[in-house]
Amino acid sequence: MSDLLKNLSINGRLALVAFVLGVVALFAGSPYVGAGAMVNAKDLSLAMATDADQVDVGTLADWIIQGKSNFRVVDLRTEAAYAEYHIPPAENIPVAGLAQSSLLRNEKVILYAEGGPRAAQAWMLLKAKGFKGVYILRGGLEAWKDHVLFPRIPATPTPAQVVDFARAREVSKYFGGTPQAVAGDSAVTAQAAMPTLAMPTPQAAGAGAPKKKKKEGC
Amino acid sequence: MIAPFFKYGLFGDNLGLVVAFAIGIGFGFFLERAGFGNARKLAAQFYFTDLRVFKVMFTAIVTAMLGVYYLAVFGVLDLSLVYLTPTFLLPQMAGGLILGMGFVVGGYCPGTACVGVATGRIDAMVLFLGIFAGIFGFGEIYPLVSTFYASTPMGQLTLPQVTGLPYGVIVFAVVLMALGGFAGAEWVEKRMAARNVEA
Repeated sequence: MSDLLKNLSINGRLALVAFVLGVVALFAGSPYVGAGAMVNAKDLSLAMATDADQVDVGTLADWIIQGKSNFRVVDLRTEAAYAEYHIPPAENIPVAGLAQSSLLRNEKVILYAEGGPRAAQAWMLLKAKGFKGVYILRGGLEAWKDHVLFPRIPATPTPAQVVDFARAREVSKYFGGTPQAVAGDSAVTAQAAMPTLAMPTPQAAGAGAPKKKKKEGC
Repeated sequence: MIAPFFKYGLFGDNLGLVVAFAIGIGFGFFLERAGFGNARKLAAQFYFTDLRVFKVMFTAIVTAMLGVYYLAVFGVLDLSLVYLTPTFLLPQMAGGLILGMGFVVGGYCPGTACVGVATGRIDAMVLFLGIFAGIFGFGEIYPLVSTFYASTPMGQLTLPQVTGLPYGVIVFAVVLMALGGFAGAEWVEKRMAARNVEA
């Protein structure tokens, strides 16, 4: 056997190596991350404990207004609910389709559903699949409605609250919402209409110029 | 640390250009050392007298395939992030034929023409100008061929997807194909050499 190896030319030896690696490949399985998933419990618990897994509705609203495009917003609800209303840049990926979606592991992904649990489940799923930058929209669409679309001001506001509300009103108008007046005011409408789905045009153009898609290949 | 480094943000656009430059120099160097800066040696491929293009290219394919496969199996490379050129079956077949005809007539493919230019070969420079004339011409007639250009789109295909065979089996099959191809190429070269001596 060793004599045979000694007599083999360099090319022959390289061919032998390639052949052996090829045979091993027969049994080494798929190189893709399959249906299974790996969880780094330490990483995940740390992200939960430090709230590093969540994004505030106010922060998201600011990003959208600033025209940032370095993130993807994912609506986890049903198609019908998505068609009725969704946060402007969101794309609809129901939880069942999450594993086969076009999301990339290195993208910043913000997940939301009606409230909390569904988004949290999806977060866990994507984290286990090795996605790096996955975040939950804190409070989900409910919080988006309460704080962004229909912000409220208490009957006896402190000066700080008045300032906050003035700002919230601008944000709300940008997304086509209706800022709610003081509770108890006669002008309060009981049920504000949901805004239409027209995507607002980013005002601060250039604040975050859209990332150019690179064409790859030779 | 997981590859691809660029997609995981390990370096940005600027350093990416530096990396691309280094890889390009390496690519050109090995093409030249393989003798691919010489149109005669390249064209000999089509007369079956010197199949080094076939051998070098298939060696590169097998080496890269085994490297990528094992890096991904060991979890060092995220294969889902590696870019695959989408398949457009008919236009790519037509493009391949046109490129092949140019290769036979001119004796260079685009990459080796650059290598030939770098070593100062005049035929390579002429072909290099031809490449740009072709690109310009294609740009001019693009509106006429744009429908065909985008026809038969099949997305990002891989052999395991098309054949339904496990990835490892495809790797093994390509290795076998390469080794068989090398043996066959040597045999053909010997036969052609013998015939040319007789002639």
